[in-house]
Formats: sequence, structure tokens, C-alpha cells
Amino acid sequence: MSEPTTHVLLIEDNPGDADLIRLRLVEGKSPVDVSCAHRLADGLASLAQKPPSVLLLDLNLPDSQGADTYRRVLEKAPNVPVVILSGQDDEELAINALHQGAQDYLVKDAITSGGLDRAMRYAVERQALLRSLEMSRKQQLEFKNKFLSHVSHELRTPLTCIHQFVTILLDGLAGELTPEQREHLTTVLKSANQLGAMVRDLLEATRAESGKIRIERRCVSIPDLARLAVTMLQAAAREKRVGLELGVDAALPFVHGDPDRILEVLINLIDNGIKFTPPEGAVTVQASRALMDPDFACISVVDTGCGIPPEARALIFERLYQDPNAIDDNRKGLGLGLFITKELVELQGGRIWVASEPGQGSTFSFTLPLYSLAKLLTPVIVHEQRLRESLVLVRVDLLPRTRPPRGNWKDICSRALELLQRCVYLDKDLVLPPMTSSGPEQTFFTVASTDMRGAEIMMTRIREQMSQLTELKGNGDCMVSATAVPLPDSQGGRSLEEQVQGVADCVTEMARIATRPRRVSDSAGKSMENAGHAPA
Amino acid sequence: MSTQKILIVDDDANLRQALRLRLRANHYDTVHAVDGYSAIAQAYKERPDLIILDLGLPAGDGFVVLDRLQRDDKLSDIPVVVLTARDPQSSEERAFAAGATAFFQKPADNGELLDMIRAALPRTSPPPAMPS
Repeated sequence: MSEPTTHVLLIEDNPGDADLIRLRLVEGKSPVDVSCAHRLADGLASLAQKPPSVLLLDLNLPDSQGADTYRRVLEKAPNVPVVILSGQDDEELAINALHQGAQDYLVKDAITSGGLDRAMRYAVERQALLRSLEMSRKQQLEFKNKFLSHVSHELRTPLTCIHQFVTILLDGLAGELTPEQREHLTTVLKSANQLGAMVRDLLEATRAESGKIRIERRCVSIPDLARLAVTMLQAAAREKRVGLELGVDAALPFVHGDPDRILEVLINLIDNGIKFTPPEGAVTVQASRALMDPDFACISVVDTGCGIPPEARALIFERLYQDPNAIDDNRKGLGLGLFITKELVELQGGRIWVASEPGQGSTFSFTLPLYSLAKLLTPVIVHEQRLRESLVLVRVDLLPRTRPPRGNWKDICSRALELLQRCVYLDKDLVLPPMTSSGPEQTFFTVASTDMRGAEIMMTRIREQMSQLTELKGNGDCMVSATAVPLPDSQGGRSLEEQVQGVADCVTEMARIATRPRRVSDSAGKSMENAGHAPA
Repeated sequence: MSTQKILIVDDDANLRQALRLRLRANHYDTVHAVDGYSAIAQAYKERPDLIILDLGLPAGDGFVVLDRLQRDDKLSDIPVVVLTARDPQSSEERAFAAGATAFFQKPADNGELLDMIRAALPRTSPPPAMPS
């Protein structure tokens, strides 16, 4: 029976060693064809062109030495089995390569044709086994994700039915209720809402695992978001007679993150805090610049609850972790909340941790990167080592005609932002990342290096571009305005950096005032788990 | 004042009934369809002021219905509120691109759904009076 030919690529710079190994290969029992490269670059080119069945690799080559050689091969061809050829004196290097994933190593002086033959066979077999294991792991993960997403979809239909009919009864659409009936139905609704939250978490955790969570970064005011989260959960806290307070540094600069995701994190943490704090206790939300790293904001949720024992602190952010001592049924969930929370924080470039003493309460803290306007502004507003003579802040407001807005309002807003980018000079103007706002209205700011006359021309250009946005017509209106940015006095002896920082602070303040939420309560009710809705 | 008419498209009979009760309590008239095919037939026949559309339907799913509505001048102006158990991340954008006016995942909050219906309905007649 004839064996298939093994294609061997030999990367070896010493011609004597290369000849010897070639000889041993040909002497072996199985048919081989050998190609040889003397430099890593040639070897990598050959790998890319025609992947061999097995690669014999010397680690010390003219153009690459040591561990780096194997790393570069692995990058180029992760699936090709590799046998390292080592000298007497660099066996340790070869062993290191084994740890990185090389299949075997041979000491060059001691190579026999039988040994070489066997090493190559084993390398090929093991690599094939590894690949099939990896494939089946991927398939299983995919199957699990598909299954969970299917299950959460199917659970929604009966859940919707329960939700609908219970709210119909609670809203009195099917006749008057006795107080007792009302009480029981309220319990049903609460449980249905809990079930709904679990289904949501299930899908969210699946997404987190498969890297499918979308993050849309903006300039976010943490004080505003924290206030919104506290407003949303105030009723739940009051019901449990737990105080819910806000202690945020109002002058905290914007962070760069996804406002919806940050709100989700805040709600998860505050909600947990309320759940694990006994009546008459308190939950406090704090936010300030991180002590260890001034480029980050640190947000903490402090409770006076039962605390977390040290052994649980390490596990608490793991999937499916549940407090084994929780007795209250309301505390039970799928154990996915903190796992999702951690994923959301890390996806936005922050970290999350908990400090706690049993009986003394817990403090959950997370960080988010601060948005540095000064860094972005410098190339735009500094020209020939000085601040530009005049700067204007151009403001574009998108206002939906209806509440809630019709059409894909979010999409309309991001299209408008793209159009706005086309109206500016990249070297002189800067479109700021969108600001959060509590309602559907969207405001975009541009810092333009021009005077008010130039700003007029720019505004005309913006109005023309926005009129091209057909989806906006009928669904919303666009308003454009401009204000001169007061410039710091350069005679004051301040350095250029300080002047830029001054402008950045000034622009931040102007934008902050302009987008200050009008009524927080407007959107507060929106995401709450609403009880049955009686038409107002 | 004429009552505004809403076409409810869902293959789940319980859900159709629940929506009918909810909408009638808010003084809307309702008609029904159980699949994609009858949804289009009902849209022609009843000329509803608004359509509540499920996406997972037998005989032509919700996207087929959206597409047919868009392609007919007489029907393309009818606002369509999608109400589906499907994941917004995979179907919301597609639904808007196909002409949907709004997208809700089941179970939707009744207050938000009614607000949207009110906002999406054409303003030719005054909005229905709210029950107390």
C-alpha cells in the first residue's frame, strides 16, 4: 500500500545541517518531498504559498532569532504542525516553543531517520486532533448560542400573552377588581416582569460571550446619567424603605462611552444594592475622577447591606454565580446580571471591582475613560504655535416632530452626523462626538476655526446638506445656530497647553449648558418595568 | 368623528384578542389578519389607518408584508408598527429599511406602544379621546 507523500518544509540556515536532515528524510520509510529555505522570510513566503504537511524549523536564522522565530511562524501558519530543530545549547528555547504550541523538538546532532519519521508523524496526527477539537468547541459554542437565542425568542410569545391579559385585568378593561384580586394579579405581573428580565439577560449574556454586544460611543455626562438611574429606581427603593442618594462630582468631565450601556450598568448595580440592603439602609451613587488614574472616571455604588464574604468576591462577576445564602425569592435571578455588567464595563475600556466586608455593606466601583477634548482640539485650534484668532461653536439640533419619534430616529441622527462631517474642514474644524440627551432630541456641536461671517457660510452649507436627508423630512426638523467661543488672553503668561485646556473647558461648559436635560422625569418612566398601563 | 382603524397582524389568537381589547378600550376600531397573505388582502380591503405587524408569520413573513405594502402607492403611506418576539439587534434595522414606522419587542410596554400608535397615526382626524 503506498503512503501519500509528506510535504516537508525545512527552514535551516546551516547548509551542513540542512543536507544531513534532507538525507535522514529521504532514508525514512515514508515518501517525502522536501523544500528548503535558509532564511525565515523565504520560509514564511513558502508557507503562505503552499502550506506543507509539516514544518521543520531551526530557531536561530540570519533574519530571526530565538522565540521570535516560532512566534512569527505561528502568526503566519497557525495550523501547520511544527517540529523544532535545536542544537545542544539551545534546547531550552525549543522547550519554550513547545509551550507555545510547537508539536515536538529534535536535537540536531542526535537525529536518526526513524526518530525524525516518527516525530513528523506524531506532529501531523496531534495537530489534526487539535484542529478537530477546536472545531468541535466552536461548533458547540455556536450551537449553544443559537439554542439560547431560540429559547429566549420562544419564551417571549407566552410571556407576552401573560403580560397582556394581566394588564388588561389590572387596567379594569374586563370589569372591576376586588382589592384582593388586584393584589394577586400584581404579584403575577411582577413575576412575569422578572421572567422577562431573565429572558433578556439570557440573550444579553449569549451576546457578551460571542462578542456581539454593540457599543456606540458618545460624550456622556455621568452626573446626568447617574441622576436618571436614581430617578428610575427611586420607587423600588422607597417600596423597600431603602434610601437612594446621589453624591456625584457635578464638575466631572464627560466620559467616552455608550450612554445606554452605562445606564444599564448603573441600573444593574443600584438594583442589586437595593435588593441586598435591609429596610432603613441606604444606597449611594458616587462619581469622581479616579484616584489612581486621572484619565478615568470612577463610579461607585455603595450599599449598607449584608456585604459579601471574601470567597464570594472572586466569583461574583462569573456567569451563573448566585448568592448561596439568599433566602428572599426576590433576590433570585439567573446569576447573569454582574457578568453582563462586567462585560459592558470592559467593552468600554473600564474595569469593575467590589470591596466589601460581611455585615458592613459593599461598594461596587467601575471606571470609564474620560473624554479629553483638549487632546482632540489641539491640532485644530493651534496654528503655528498659537491659538487661532477666532473660534465659533456651531450647534445643530435635530428635533423629532412626534413623541416618540417616527421612523428609525437613531439612524436618522447618525446619518445627519455623517453629513455634518462633510461640511467641515478637517484641519480647521472639529465635530464633537454626540452628547447624551435625556430625550430623543439630538444636538451636534462643531468647533470651527472661523469668525461669525465664516460661520454663516458654514451654517448655510449644513442646512443645504441636511435638506438632502430625505428621511428627516416629515419626521423631524433641523435647527442650526452659532456662538463665538470666548478666547483666553494670551498675554496672561499661560502656556499654550493651558490655553487649549481653557478653550476645551469653555466649549465643554457651553455644550453642557446647551444639552442640560430639561425634565429628567420625561424619559425616566420609559425604561422602567411598567405596571399595567391605564390610558392617562 | 370617525374612529381610526387598526389592522392587527399576528398568528397568535390570544395576542390578537389582547391587542383588540386594549385598542378598543382606547377607542380604536380593529380588524385582523393571521398570516402574511391575509394581511395584504385585509390591507387592500379595509384600508386601515395603521398596521400592527408581527414578523414571524406563516404564509409570507412580516418582511414580505412590509415589502408588498411599500410597493403599492395606495398602501405605502399606512404606518406600520412592528411588534415581534425577534431580537431587535438582528431585525430592527431591517424592518426600518423595509419601511416600518416603529419597532417593539414583545412583551412591549402598553403605554409606550399606545404613545407610538398615537404619534404614528395620520393627523387627518383628531386623536381619539382618552377613556378615564
